[in-house]
Amino acid sequence: MRSILTTPDALAPALAIAAAALLAAPLGCDRALPSPTASSQGTEAAPQQGGTMHLATFGDLRGGLDPVGTVDGISLGAIHLIFAGLVDYDDHVRVVPELAERWDIDDGGRTYRFVLRTGVTMQDGTELTADDVKRSAERALHPSTPDPNASAFTNLAGYEAYAGGKAEHLAGVVVEGRYVVAFHLDKPDSTFPQLLAMHTLRPTCKTAGDRYSEAWLACGAGPFKLLPDGWQRGTTLRLVRHDGYFRPGRPYLDAVEWTFNMQALAQRVRFERGELDLARDLTGADERRFLADPRWKGLGAMGADKTIYGESMNTRMRPFDNVEIRRAVAAAIDRDHQVLVQPSRMSVLTQALPLMLQDDPSFAGQRYDYPAALEHMRKAGYPYDPATQTGGWPRPIEYLIYDQGLNVYTAQLVQQDLAKIGIHIFFKMLSWAAFLSIQQRANASPMSQGNWTLDYPDPSSIFDPLFTTAALAPEGSYNTAFYSNPRLDDLVARAHLEMDETARRALYREANAIVCDEAPWAFTYGHHTFEMRQAYVHGFAPHPVWPLDVSGVWLDRAGQALEHALGGPLP
Amino acid sequence: MLDARARARFTRNRSAVAGTAIVAALVVFALVGPLLASHGPLESDFAHGVGPDKMPVGPGAGFPLGADRIFRDVFARLAVAGRLSLLIAVSATLLATLIGAVVGIVAGYYEGKRVARVVSVDGIMMRAIDVLLAFPFLLLVMAIGAALDRTSAVTIFVILGVTGWMGTARVLRAKTMQVRSLDYVVASRALGQPAAGVMWKHVLPNVAGPLVVSATVLVAQMIVADSVLSYLGVGIAPPTPTWGRMLFEGQDYYAAAPWLVAAPGAVILLSVWGFNMLGEGLRDALDPHDA
Repeated sequence: MRSILTTPDALAPALAIAAAALLAAPLGCDRALPSPTASSQGTEAAPQQGGTMHLATFGDLRGGLDPVGTVDGISLGAIHLIFAGLVDYDDHVRVVPELAERWDIDDGGRTYRFVLRTGVTMQDGTELTADDVKRSAERALHPSTPDPNASAFTNLAGYEAYAGGKAEHLAGVVVEGRYVVAFHLDKPDSTFPQLLAMHTLRPTCKTAGDRYSEAWLACGAGPFKLLPDGWQRGTTLRLVRHDGYFRPGRPYLDAVEWTFNMQALAQRVRFERGELDLARDLTGADERRFLADPRWKGLGAMGADKTIYGESMNTRMRPFDNVEIRRAVAAAIDRDHQVLVQPSRMSVLTQALPLMLQDDPSFAGQRYDYPAALEHMRKAGYPYDPATQTGGWPRPIEYLIYDQGLNVYTAQLVQQDLAKIGIHIFFKMLSWAAFLSIQQRANASPMSQGNWTLDYPDPSSIFDPLFTTAALAPEGSYNTAFYSNPRLDDLVARAHLEMDETARRALYREANAIVCDEAPWAFTYGHHTFEMRQAYVHGFAPHPVWPLDVSGVWLDRAGQALEHALGGPLP
Repeated sequence: MLDARARARFTRNRSAVAGTAIVAALVVFALVGPLLASHGPLESDFAHGVGPDKMPVGPGAGFPLGADRIFRDVFARLAVAGRLSLLIAVSATLLATLIGAVVGIVAGYYEGKRVARVVSVDGIMMRAIDVLLAFPFLLLVMAIGAALDRTSAVTIFVILGVTGWMGTARVLRAKTMQVRSLDYVVASRALGQPAAGVMWKHVLPNVAGPLVVSATVLVAQMIVADSVLSYLGVGIAPPTPTWGRMLFEGQDYYAAAPWLVAAPGAVILLSVWGFNMLGEGLRDALDPHDA
């Protein structure tokens, strides 16, 4: 008690900000942005080698650096730099060869055969062979490996026996030559190349061994490698150039360095000082200042809209076991208001598919329609009269929130909207870990904010984990609405088997219509990243899948050569 | 409690008068402010609160202190938060003062005495205070909050009250040790008055001055503690406005919308400053030798 009452350390920084703002406010002071740090040769210069790229984030490497078991965005970006895949996504979200030179499809879509590039050097100095691909796949899918993505590969032949501990090896991955490996599937699956482009089965060095180990130093065939002291947990990560990388002349950078747990305010200040080469966690207000300043024009870039947010309603708990109540919620939320919380990053979302996958502009999805919301409440048996403010659902409903990001604000807007149809929610504020634990547990929480980022750019990455019966689990269920509909399950299963892209899209359109109508989620907004770079950072564009892909970036900072000669930054 | 000479000393003390004025102004603001506001504290106004650049509007007509991130009236929220903060701080102070006074007076009265020649009442109480002072406060508060499932104003005031009395107890113990050796207290005990009666009739009135001073300063500390809890996200859940939460929500916008931190920051600073000056003024007026 003494420390908090006599020395309010925790509040001191905020009070200091308040004091600064008190001084600034009367003057109408909105401090002007500095100029971006200049490039020495301009935008037309040829790529040059060297330099360290400095990045920061308010988050941390919660998922670690092993391609097995990782799901958080920050880890994903670093893993993509350390580990190359057999295939990868290009800038237009097409699956293209990476470590594989080519692949072909046999047996009506049941066999995918990959021919590897020859002479690919892993970061431990050994050559990549088909044996490494099989060993890495078996390591990733072994029952002792804590891999939350393993369920995506259940269609591999022999998976069940291997994951159940009944087989020594994964029968579906077959080495057919030193540089040829085949993946055999139980059923045709048109999404398999996309699954393979994800991080989970990326080849690991022989040092990884056959089984997962937390002590392993991450090592793959990507453009950057991790040295033994490169990761100071909770503080920094430094990756250095992999000189044996298979693409000649790449990467351009000597190193990439992240600083973790840095607040947005500190990031902006350090970016303005030129201490960070790229800023990713700017606040909405700061983004608007950069975008409005002509000196920074062309240096900001929006990422792909691949994250969906919505209100997840537990279809097995009252009152959301009543579909009319769920429809009322979906119609009562004014999405135009939601996106005002951070207009530069948010876009109105009325359906299950994020903006980057939407292909039917005529589809209405869920729309704000207040009279319709009241009508759904009446049909549900809980009519509400806005004039007298009587009726509606009789008891307050608990709504889970976590104290990070935008959800605290959007939840309060949802609360206001739902009060207008006679549904009253109150908040239970939790840590992120506790939030996830309760949200993903059956019959634990009637309502919470759902959000999902595409693992790979395909509708299956939304429908499979979020809305199918197969995704249900008593604990750790990604289907947080605990929604089950045999018709939807059938559509999604058929879409997996369908090799014709047009027919697949039609199946997913039907699935989308079902989810929007039955409303296990009331979809609210999509979200994308915004990245602001210094003028001397070249070759950077937000990748549609991989966060902070700097594999093609080169630096050309004015004075860089002099700094290099002096052995430190210029005064 | 304040005799004519003490009142004169108090009114001559400019900082004491300024502190009184600030506290009075805050109380008036908290009581009357919500009645003057043109918006409810929980109500977003998308028609008038959104600026042309989609930012919250700044101070002006309709929004005297600007709008917040979801376009609510900062003035209305600040005033309602003031009611809550002052209510929690005063209630927690009363609880802490009550506990601190009982513990401090009993410990001071029995200082040096042992029950059954073995156990020192004062020693036990003081060691208990040492232990409580050493306990990590935030951890305790968060643990209690988690155990209670939902954090309300009552929860916060009880938590602050039961964890904030130790300083008062120490002050009162020292004063009681002085008072208990005065002639009339010794005489009362010699005449056979029970200890509880002596403490109630003779000790308490003579330590009331320090008690009031301690309580006044404690209010300021409780306001800070309540704000810290809200700032860290373990206070009262949104949408109920609190000063600490408003400060937290505004800090990312301090350059573009400085009113979002300036307003709650100012009232926290003013209230702490006001109660501290008032408390010090009372101390100087009641006990000029210590000044």
